[in-house]
Amino acid sequence: MSIVEVQGLSKRYDPPKGVLAVDDVSFTIERGEIFSLLGPNGAGKSTTISMLSCLLRPSGGDATVDGHSIVGDAQAVKSVIGVVPQDIAVYPDMTARENLVFWGKMYGLAGVELTSRVDEVLELISLVDRQKDRVDKYSGGMKRRVNIGVALLHRPKILYLDEPTVGIDPQSRRSILDGILTFREQGMTVLYTTHYMAEAQELSDRIGIIDHGKMIALGTHGELVKIVGEEARVDVAVDRQLDGMVERWSGLRGVSKASVEEDHAELLVDDANEVLPHLFEEAAGGGSRITSVNVSEPNLELVFLHLTGRALRE
Amino acid sequence: MRRLWTLAGKDLLETRRDRLSAIFIVIMPIAFTAFFGLMFGSGSDRLALGLHDADHDAQSQQLVAALEESDAVRVVPKNAAELEAWIADGRAAAGLLIPEGFSAAVQAGAPAELVLVGDQASSGAQAIVAEVRATAGDLVAASRAAQVGVEAAAEAQGQTGAAAADVPAFAQAVATQAMEEPVVSLTTVAAGAAAGQIPTGFTLSSPGMLVNFIMFSLLTAGMAVIMERKNGTLRRLMTTRVRRWELIAGKMAGMFALTFFQQILLLGIGQFVFGVDYLNDPAALLLMMVALSLVASSLGLLLAVLLTSEQALVAAVVITSMSVSALSGAWFPLEITGPGFQFVGHLLPTAWILDGLRGIVARGFGVGDVLPALGVALAWSAGLFGLAVIRFRLT
Repeated sequence: MSIVEVQGLSKRYDPPKGVLAVDDVSFTIERGEIFSLLGPNGAGKSTTISMLSCLLRPSGGDATVDGHSIVGDAQAVKSVIGVVPQDIAVYPDMTARENLVFWGKMYGLAGVELTSRVDEVLELISLVDRQKDRVDKYSGGMKRRVNIGVALLHRPKILYLDEPTVGIDPQSRRSILDGILTFREQGMTVLYTTHYMAEAQELSDRIGIIDHGKMIALGTHGELVKIVGEEARVDVAVDRQLDGMVERWSGLRGVSKASVEEDHAELLVDDANEVLPHLFEEAAGGGSRITSVNVSEPNLELVFLHLTGRALRE
Repeated sequence: MRRLWTLAGKDLLETRRDRLSAIFIVIMPIAFTAFFGLMFGSGSDRLALGLHDADHDAQSQQLVAALEESDAVRVVPKNAAELEAWIADGRAAAGLLIPEGFSAAVQAGAPAELVLVGDQASSGAQAIVAEVRATAGDLVAASRAAQVGVEAAAEAQGQTGAAAADVPAFAQAVATQAMEEPVVSLTTVAAGAAAGQIPTGFTLSSPGMLVNFIMFSLLTAGMAVIMERKNGTLRRLMTTRVRRWELIAGKMAGMFALTFFQQILLLGIGQFVFGVDYLNDPAALLLMMVALSLVASSLGLLLAVLLTSEQALVAAVVITSMSVSALSGAWFPLEITGPGFQFVGHLLPTAWILDGLRGIVARGFGVGDVLPALGVALAWSAGLFGLAVIRFRLT
């Protein structure tokens, strides 16, 4: 059963000639699943999440969240969503507890309910011991936890996380990803945006790949990978000019695509084990020597490359 | 509504934690009030009375000496031409002309005449009339009583027995009859409407610095909004159930509370440390405080809405507070400026508020007297707030 239903959502800034940031996007999010919007910077992920948060009014289309229209019933939508922005949007000169109390009141909590919920969230984000310290005294990871904790106060039915791991250390990133998996175990629905393929792959039940404002692919990880079939990507570097080599390799059996990417060649192959020896032979025949080989099994990066002709840079 | 107060309370908490704010909100205004107060001369809150003694005789000089002793007026001796100029440009609340023959009239027991020149509608001039009437009345009455006593004593010298014993009663009866007649006639002559008291000392500096630094506190209040916009909390607030109007009103309420609290502090120090009598009319004072906080908070909100960077806000607040303070008469009384400057100054609500505050302190203004200032402030606040609402944006 869908908790979010997006139908033909569009957003053009400064119409009629401004940027079309989101272009006729449609998707659904099922209750209890983690749904990721994956795409490079500027793809339209944050604009989509802003519209679903009722911060931006769509230029076209509509979406419902828990049955409430984002266009017609923003207040009802806001009561069921929790939004974790990309930047740490809490008050640095207030303590974690003061922040949670303040935001709890903004979500409409009061009295005993507010106090007990603040205690629970402090426990959840592991900041009970540091709750009376000002946030500007915290590490980056602790600030991120407060940032997430704020969005959990009112027990939202769906949690939006907009690139929550940008610019943080690996340990904090791990902690956040584990936390999100825990939310799913507790039955919460999560909408997650990222440009990190590995995160989308690890977390998501389903993934929507978005580029230039359009949803270019949608499905489970397995379904998306099938788009590129069983192809693997092989990155090869040689000690001579690449152009001639790429031409030779592209004619080999089992190589579906070969291109020059900066200092190496990028090949899509049916079966890496079968093709690799021939690559070495062709290189030797052309008077070149292969200096490095990297084989990537089918993944979302390949899907994006396949669909857009560009790499999804992390 | 609860969210609105929570927002305002949060802003106040953040301001309280910002040590730099205390310098602008409390320390600098007190220091500047003391500095300007001493510079413009403390202890000179008495009403300025320009005085020309054309009589220059015993009784006129006694009257001048008695007025110089007065707690209510400050005598500024002037010749006839200067007197006129002083009253015309408002440097004296009123002018007193002691005509030739004043002493002779007093000595002859005839009604003595004084001429008071001033704006009869001005509370300052009215206070001076009362003071001059009382002082001159005492002087002339004493002189007349002494004459009666002398005459009675002279008459008694030629009498003996029971008749001589009646002399004190006779003298008393004559003196009483004399006192029932007008002892001094005070003719008031209308002068320019600008006539009034020019504030000096702490009466000048305390309300002036109050307005000046309330304007400066826009920096603290506006910065809170700019920082919220910058760190994304303003945007995040709109993902909660806070309505747009609650957010804007909450921000303004925070600014209002901050400036109102600042006023309580500075007015308290003015009253109890610098001896400026703000509590002459508490209700009128409260109206002026509300007016000033409304103007300041709506202006602060508009600046914070229009400007996007801290640097731009600092520049705007410095320029705004300096120019508004100067034009409104916060640094020097508008009465000493020309009509053009006064007109421009009174296009601003702060000039009206300063008139109101100084009127309460020095001219006995009540609620009715400050209503025009309140009206001007309300109109300005509504306009500034409306503009801020229209231009309000989250990012």
